[in-house]
Amino acid sequence: MVNLSSAGRRRIRYETHQALLVGASLLCAVLIMVPVIWMVSAGVRPVKEILTYPPSLVPKTLTLQYYQRILADPTYQQYFLNSTILSLTTLGLALVLGSLAAYGFSRYRFPGSRAMLMGILGLLMLPQVTLIVPYFHLAHLTGLYDTLPGLIIVNTAFLLPLATWLLKGYFDSLPEELEEAAMVDGCVRLQALWKIVLPLAAPGLVGVGTFVFIGSWNEYLLPVVLTETPRAQTLTVGLAAFFGQYVRDWNGIMALSTLASLPLVVIFVLLQRWVVQGIGSGAIK
Amino acid sequence: MKVAGTRNPAETIAPAESTPSRIRARRRLPGYAPGYAFIAPILVYLAATAVYPILNVVGMSLRDVTAGHWSFVGLANYRQVLHDLVFWNAMGNTTIFTVASTVAHLALGLVFALLLHEVWFSPGLRNITRGALILPWVFSTAAAGLMWSLLYHPFGLFNYLAVGVFGRPQPFAFLGDPRIALASVIAVNVWKSYPFYMVAILGELQAIPVDVFDAAKVDGAGGWQRFWYVTLPQLRGVLIAISTIDVITTFGHVDLINILTRGGPGRATETVAFHVYRTALLDGNLPQGAAISTIMLVLLTMFTWFYLRMLARRGAESW
Repeated sequence: MVNLSSAGRRRIRYETHQALLVGASLLCAVLIMVPVIWMVSAGVRPVKEILTYPPSLVPKTLTLQYYQRILADPTYQQYFLNSTILSLTTLGLALVLGSLAAYGFSRYRFPGSRAMLMGILGLLMLPQVTLIVPYFHLAHLTGLYDTLPGLIIVNTAFLLPLATWLLKGYFDSLPEELEEAAMVDGCVRLQALWKIVLPLAAPGLVGVGTFVFIGSWNEYLLPVVLTETPRAQTLTVGLAAFFGQYVRDWNGIMALSTLASLPLVVIFVLLQRWVVQGIGSGAIK
Repeated sequence: MKVAGTRNPAETIAPAESTPSRIRARRRLPGYAPGYAFIAPILVYLAATAVYPILNVVGMSLRDVTAGHWSFVGLANYRQVLHDLVFWNAMGNTTIFTVASTVAHLALGLVFALLLHEVWFSPGLRNITRGALILPWVFSTAAAGLMWSLLYHPFGLFNYLAVGVFGRPQPFAFLGDPRIALASVIAVNVWKSYPFYMVAILGELQAIPVDVFDAAKVDGAGGWQRFWYVTLPQLRGVLIAISTIDVITTFGHVDLINILTRGGPGRATETVAFHVYRTALLDGNLPQGAAISTIMLVLLTMFTWFYLRMLARRGAESW
């Protein structure tokens, strides 16, 4: 009898604890999501339902006309295309150059290797703003101003150190014995990297790739500084320009910013596990 | 088992030989040349796209330009910048922006990480909540800025709460009132960037051995005591590391300020990073912009040096 009641008390304590814990967490999550919910809802209903006292929580009218208008506009199509090209090219460059360097740092020790690795880590910490002045100047001198290649070259410079650092951490965790066996079988080092290490490092590559893609897709300052016409501008610049107009088309802004964020939300939902591992393991240590 | 005969007999010996060397941490391969060959591409790339521009910006800061002709002027640009009150106003704003953002990032990150680290009755619900709490990190600063300016609108949700619910006489001009504009920008930055630090703290929490907590429990430590005497000391390393990263990142942040306020009203939200952008690109004064950039580079090098030394001390065994 005594046992039972103490077990019952423990049960009640457990349930209160769970209710508080889960309730508080869900409340936090909902509050954090408010800006996102508001953005999505402003993209599908007239803004007068939202910018009013009190705003209506449940949409009275639902419409896709703002989306249609954005999707039909060739300028915004160009922004989407430019963002895609920028992100995919940077992804490719960062993974190729990054995994070569990461492999070199992970498997060899040579004079200066530690200093060079520290140098790369130092560059990882460098914010873009410190170099916008020379980039702007040099882009004009080299004719790369307002071109996608110019933007890609500079953007890669800022994501390459991160890719190298994360991949080196990943390669360090893989045993060397497999490559040695492959080399005894007549593979050269580069083949061992291509055939043995990279397939094993696939989860790491996915995580790093997601970082690089999100970073490129969301890059704002570099396109602001290095481009001036829609032929090279990206979605982030398009969004901000849209916003800067005198009469603000809130519906259009929110529809575009939902569309611009959609690819990343999808990627994130699919690859969440790797991204979380990536931040948890390599980005800090 | 593939065709055994084609394999080199040495293969069977190699693993046996490598066993003792695995005990000595990590074995490096002999021969310098291949090591250099692997890292040569990235070195060339970064030399051209990062190291050269760094030298270039320092060089520009020592010159002046008139009608496209650059001439050496020594430290004149620096003298001008350091005597400019606008620069010191920007330094003040940067300090507030950076300290407030970092403290809030770590506080929110820590609280959410602790909530997510508890045992939930439903792990699935916990994962969904974790996803929702990470989500702001996925959005671009441009999208984040726009979402929040809808909330900050005179007829937006926040002002409805202030005026309609709490009965304030007029709405707040969140981005237009010099007294609260910087705080409004900071709030967006906090929302946008805390998830990175939350995930980092969560990762570190999960690495704390469970028996440490069990031992504390056996010793009769309550929840608060366990947090203060067990969890927090275990997190000390990661908290120092991520606050350094955060200070460096926030110090160089331009995006939200450019999107939300362009440094205004007046210069109430102008940070040093935005000051570089305004001076060099909006006002077209490249030499002066270069001088401010170089000052930033020096400060950042100091922060980074501190960070790298700390990393080297923490992770000495992994080298």
